Amino acid sequence: MSARQDIRHALKGYQDIKREMEICQKYGQDYRNQKGLKATIIDRLHPRQLELTVSEIITENDNTKTLRLTASGRALPAFLPGQYLSVSVQIDGVRTSRPYSISSSPTQTAYYDLTVGRVKDGFVSNYLLDEVKVGDTFTTSGPLGNFYYNPLFHGRKLVFLAGGTGITPFMSMIRTFTDQNLDLDILLLYGCRSVKDALFLPELAQRVERHPNFRFELVLSEPDSNDQGRRGLIDANLIKELVDDIAGTTFYICGPSAMQKFCTSQLESLGVKRRAIRREAFTAPGDVFDDPAWPQDVSADQPVTLYVQHPSGETVTIKTRVGEPVLTTLEKAGLIVPSACRTGECSMCRVKMTAGEVFQPSSALVRQSDRLLGYIHTCRAYPLSDLTLVIQ
Amino acid sequence: MTDFDVVVIGAGNGGLTAAASLAKAGIRTLLLERHNIPGGCATSFCRGRFEFEVALHQLSGYGQADNPGPLRGFLSQFGIPDRCEFVDMENLYRLILPGQLDITLPANREGTTQALVARFPEDKDGIVGFIDLIYRTFFEYAAVFYQRDPEASAEKYPLMTQYTLQPTEQVMNEYFQNPLIKAALGIYWGYSGVPLSQLPFIDYATLYFSYLHWKPAYIRNGSQAMSNALLEYILANSGQARFNCGAKRILVEDGRVIGVETEHGDMITAKAVVSNASSIDTYVELIGEEHVPEEQFKILGGQTVGPSSLTLFVGLDCEPHEVGITDTTNFIISDPDTDKQFASMSRLDVSDDYMLVSCYNLDDPQASPPGTSQVCIVDLKYSGPWLTLSPQEYLQAKFKAADGVLNRVEQVFPGFRDHIEEIEVATPLTHMRYLNTPGGAIYGFDQYAKNSNFFVSPTSPVKGLALAGAWSGPGGFQPSLMSGGSAARAIKRYLQQLGEGK
Repeated sequence: MSARQDIRHALKGYQDIKREMEICQKYGQDYRNQKGLKATIIDRLHPRQLELTVSEIITENDNTKTLRLTASGRALPAFLPGQYLSVSVQIDGVRTSRPYSISSSPTQTAYYDLTVGRVKDGFVSNYLLDEVKVGDTFTTSGPLGNFYYNPLFHGRKLVFLAGGTGITPFMSMIRTFTDQNLDLDILLLYGCRSVKDALFLPELAQRVERHPNFRFELVLSEPDSNDQGRRGLIDANLIKELVDDIAGTTFYICGPSAMQKFCTSQLESLGVKRRAIRREAFTAPGDVFDDPAWPQDVSADQPVTLYVQHPSGETVTIKTRVGEPVLTTLEKAGLIVPSACRTGECSMCRVKMTAGEVFQPSSALVRQSDRLLGYIHTCRAYPLSDLTLVIQ
Repeated sequence: MTDFDVVVIGAGNGGLTAAASLAKAGIRTLLLERHNIPGGCATSFCRGRFEFEVALHQLSGYGQADNPGPLRGFLSQFGIPDRCEFVDMENLYRLILPGQLDITLPANREGTTQALVARFPEDKDGIVGFIDLIYRTFFEYAAVFYQRDPEASAEKYPLMTQYTLQPTEQVMNEYFQNPLIKAALGIYWGYSGVPLSQLPFIDYATLYFSYLHWKPAYIRNGSQAMSNALLEYILANSGQARFNCGAKRILVEDGRVIGVETEHGDMITAKAVVSNASSIDTYVELIGEEHVPEEQFKILGGQTVGPSSLTLFVGLDCEPHEVGITDTTNFIISDPDTDKQFASMSRLDVSDDYMLVSCYNLDDPQASPPGTSQVCIVDLKYSGPWLTLSPQEYLQAKFKAADGVLNRVEQVFPGFRDHIEEIEVATPLTHMRYLNTPGGAIYGFDQYAKNSNFFVSPTSPVKGLALAGAWSGPGGFQPSLMSGGSAARAIKRYLQQLGEGK
């Protein structure tokens, strides 16, 4: 026995604590009884994935459908109204995913509604609208996202600025808050081209009627002649007219990127603080070319090559173009990179770039130390040159 | 030949340093991580224009170039001091007990002694004597257990013999009775999770000595910068890493590790495994009881799972001083008695809780964009009451508890809530989800004397397995980082024995 072991036994209190430990071991717990318990607890709240079945398809208008999704063999997790699911699909052999806000209310979790609008030339939206039928199944993420009413600092006066299918997270919020009769003042400003593009109008009208603390204005930019509703855009004048306590209100924006940018500038012109403007990054990959930081001398169609090193060590060469997000290129080549938000925020699709140059809009939230080491969020990274990537 | 010599499961602090140590030694190493990023606790995440540090508040034992601590020496092997910027903190903390005590202790012996004596002049001798005891006991302990004096004896090291295992509060009572002094000199108890009445004096003395002697440190761009740098080192030294790839099973044959099965069903053969998963998960979930001696479950069963935390990550749209934050590290308490502070950790209610409010901008103005502040509020909580809630109740409880925490903070820093631009709340269940530890525990088992390495050996009964991280020793950054070095040494010895045909 070494001197150090000796001295251990000489420490004052050693024998008492040793006895204590022996008693604890004798009458302690058996952790074998908890096998699998932790995974069950986590899965109930935050499943890594869900297998969902289309139980009903509701046609909202010519270009929009609601897919009602149910799960068999498990309860659907609770969520916060405004959150989204990342839906995985395989189309023409390409595995990809898209985020869709849940439009139903979490006051019931028998089903999740995903309301899908047609995106011109959209790879996934057209598939969901035209090909999917009742009984089809999807793998999705659990509910994700940070665009929700946060009672810790959002106050009780809320203004929702929705554009087009950007109404979907607000439908979940409005359904929840009115059904629960929460003490919140809600004003929805819903911008659409015309009435025929607007979603959920009868339901919104009904909820306005039943709930004095919920108001709703339709704002039409290209109305048809018979359309009822305000004309124009959601601008500072309209907001000033309809909102009395601008300083005490939290504004939420969800809609196409041009609408988001415009509404944000209008709110800023009214002196609304950054903290009171909550935005869902509801942008399409093509919006990047409108980004003021986009290098003007670069053409989206310029060809570039990606050299991608697999976990296996093998390197794949892929031809693509500047205007395509790296993630999309990888998916088309059959490479699997996990993804969720597809707007650059969640960092799931983080990949290491060891050579080359990409454009990442400021909305891509890349960690500072990642930036310094060349990590990119591939869903919102555009190759400005040939790239060498390492999938770890 | 096996696919790898060693598979390291988990890229937390201990897994990263284990893999780095093994790769450095030329051992063929594969690091598996179920998340898409290395770090475990040592990570960050972005919300809006903020990047939030997840877990590192005050790094201990790092020191300065001319006063290096043990952690600096350890991390130097992997070039970390050249790849990351460590920022010294000039104060230990500000402790606020509204209406009774508001004291700031500088991060050096003289400064802390003076600040305490100025506030409690009648206890001058006790304070000076007690701080002296911290130093002398630590030095004796270090001589025996770090410098390994071969002549060590109870007679040669009387303070260490007397005080090492004694509860800290009992030792304090020999020097002063005033509960405010005990709180002022004991508030770091939360960094171990054990109140002063039970915290072994050597753990206490090591904590205070380290912070007073080497100062606390912060890492520029957060602990993620260190995790990323460790991964770079591993890869540059021919180590490999796979992310989004958790381990499902540790494969054992005849009492020896033979490989790992991944969550994707891949079988990877290896001579040895370092597990940075919790010891409970390692034996119960990954290895399975048929390959583990009954005795090991007894050893685990004698230890209780330590606390998790209710953590608020807050981005303010103002400079710290606008809401009265003048120090990086602030402790807020409602009662000086650490037993009462400890008791509230087992309740959902937060109105009496002991809270840590860290604002990194004071020592690192780049911790968030100009004109803003990054604040992290930690309220230690056991997971128990959170586990009984239904999913809907859970969401409500989460907001309610966070609201209560903000009310407490608002008392001390008026205007705080009105400046919130981003906030994210992590409960014990959130920690469980991301760390995958039992109870969402952040320090491993409760750090009682009986659970320490004095009484529980970190050595595994399964041949070719070593554990790294908070579950095989003390919790916290410094110990968990250094545990990877110990695990790697054990594995190197094992591989050598295998090579010699033993």
